[in-house]
Amino acid sequence: MKPLIARYGTALAAVALFVVFAVTARNFLAVGNLIGIAKHVSPIAILGIGFALALIAAELDLSFANVCSLAAVATGTLVHRGHSPWLAAAAGLGVGIGFGLLNGLVVTRLKVPSLIATLAAAAIANGLAFMVTDGVSVVGRWPVAFTDLGRGEVLGIPALVWWMALVAAAALFWLKQTRGGFRLVCTGENVEAARLAGLPVQRLKVTGLVLSGAAAGLAAVLLTASLSSASATMAGDFLLTAIAAVMLGMTMFEPGHANIPGTMVGALTIGMLGNGLVLLGAPYYVQDVCLGFIIIGSVAVSASALTRAAFDV
Amino acid sequence: MALVAPLLELRGIGKSYGPVRALHGIDLAIGAREVIGLCGDNGAGKSTLIRILSGAERPSEGQLLAAGRPIEIRSPANALARGIATTYQDLALAARLPIVQNIFMGAELIRGPSLLGLLDHRRMRAEAATLLDRFGLGGIDLHRPVSDLSGGQRQAVAIARALRAKARVVIMDEPTAALGVAESRQVLDLIRRLRADGVTVLLVSHDMEDVMAVTTRVVILKKGHKAGEIETAGLSAARLGEMIMSGVVA
Ligand SMILES: Nc1ncnc2c1ncn2[C@@H]1O[C@H](COP(=O)(O)OP(=O)(O)O)[C@@H](O)[C@H]1O
Ligand SMILES: [Mg+2]
Repeated sequence: MKPLIARYGTALAAVALFVVFAVTARNFLAVGNLIGIAKHVSPIAILGIGFALALIAAELDLSFANVCSLAAVATGTLVHRGHSPWLAAAAGLGVGIGFGLLNGLVVTRLKVPSLIATLAAAAIANGLAFMVTDGVSVVGRWPVAFTDLGRGEVLGIPALVWWMALVAAAALFWLKQTRGGFRLVCTGENVEAARLAGLPVQRLKVTGLVLSGAAAGLAAVLLTASLSSASATMAGDFLLTAIAAVMLGMTMFEPGHANIPGTMVGALTIGMLGNGLVLLGAPYYVQDVCLGFIIIGSVAVSASALTRAAFDV
Repeated sequence: MALVAPLLELRGIGKSYGPVRALHGIDLAIGAREVIGLCGDNGAGKSTLIRILSGAERPSEGQLLAAGRPIEIRSPANALARGIATTYQDLALAARLPIVQNIFMGAELIRGPSLLGLLDHRRMRAEAATLLDRFGLGGIDLHRPVSDLSGGQRQAVAIARALRAKARVVIMDEPTAALGVAESRQVLDLIRRLRADGVTVLLVSHDMEDVMAVTTRVVILKKGHKAGEIETAGLSAARLGEMIMSGVVA
């Protein structure tokens, strides 16, 4: 019984929260509202999955939100100047992957702990984003071929929700069913054991950080497309929210380990919490307070992997 | 006597950790189908020597040869590629990961095109069960994390990983130190079977009886130097113990 509670306790708490909102908040259960939550949560989940993949390799990526903003302004600026939407999207992804690679090389070659390396990368990305935009948002009437990436619908489900599902499924499959994912997990769990078993641990750590960067790039393209705008600060708030989703996720399914199903439930729970509180008329800042408590509570319960990644170099 | 170059040869191998000289001028030839005992007091340099052969550490001086040709063992991956697999004294397992994942770490079984790297979970489970069966653990739940296991079971997992590598040289650092009598016997049986299969085993052990039971030759280290080596046949555990203490091999 106890292992079941350890595994699914907080997931059940999320279900309980769902029931509470369903009963107390009018319109919470409306299909449009629920789909809205999933849509709203999509970039958070995608960024969270990236953060989780780096964390699974025992590296912290604190740059993903600012890298996401930079990738968004790169994409937005290119679309705005009339370049092909595909080129713009590729540029956004490229910025994300490039920063991931930079983080990976700084961590593995220069031996800078990822906590520091990615904070520095975050500052660089932030500076570049302001340089590109001069601090002004890029807004426009952009080609539908581009905006549909984030605003379209397939089978009545918003594109953003499909993207989130696709990223989660791909990450889960890669981790559980492929050699690369298997080795990433081994490296994150015990880097010396992995090295002695012949794994290319440095390359695997770079891979984890590149995947986090790629997720930031993808989230940037989707955000830019769905909002038809980009600004140097647009993803800043996602730093805490996405980390909270991962931390909350680490209390369930594979307690103590960053994991994909947990990250999804975590992101949806945080989205549901925000939505429910708004429907109940709670002031906006209550959400932030809740987020803080979620992070502290989750880490206290079982997210020890975060501390390992932060303090074992 | 025909001159056949040994499988592996160490010439003047030394290792310093900063000011600490862990090994000095070690010469050793390792032939095919041998079981070599590596003995010496705590701190004699046994683990250091093994870590050099397994690629975990680089020597500070000296030369390694394989089949008469100079080689470098650059990393554990490099050692494994050369057919040298090792079980470490501290086991080097990922405690929170499942048994099967620990066994196949670095030697995963793949189905379909190898480029895709799709894991063959079913075959890994089946092969893990077969490997562990040698230690009477054939029925164990392979999804249990290694942290749940006893010392003997962990040793079995570590050895199973080394066997997975299909190596020509298997190095074992204190494989029986944490084991009970029955489990130790299983490890010794396994060493005999490895030799019968043509594998060379390098066994580090503090247990004179174990060394006497399976080795063909014993190499004795003393304070980082090689004190000497001697055939096991005709030796007694008591004499071996004396030689290890005195460092006089005769
Ligand atoms: N990583 C290390 N750093 C510094 N000194 C070390 C290290 N590893 C081993 N030593 C030293 O090298 C010597 C030999 O150690 P070791 O090879 O572990 O001996 P043994 O396995 O025979 O007990 C000891 O004096 C030990 O303290
Ligand atoms: Mg030792």
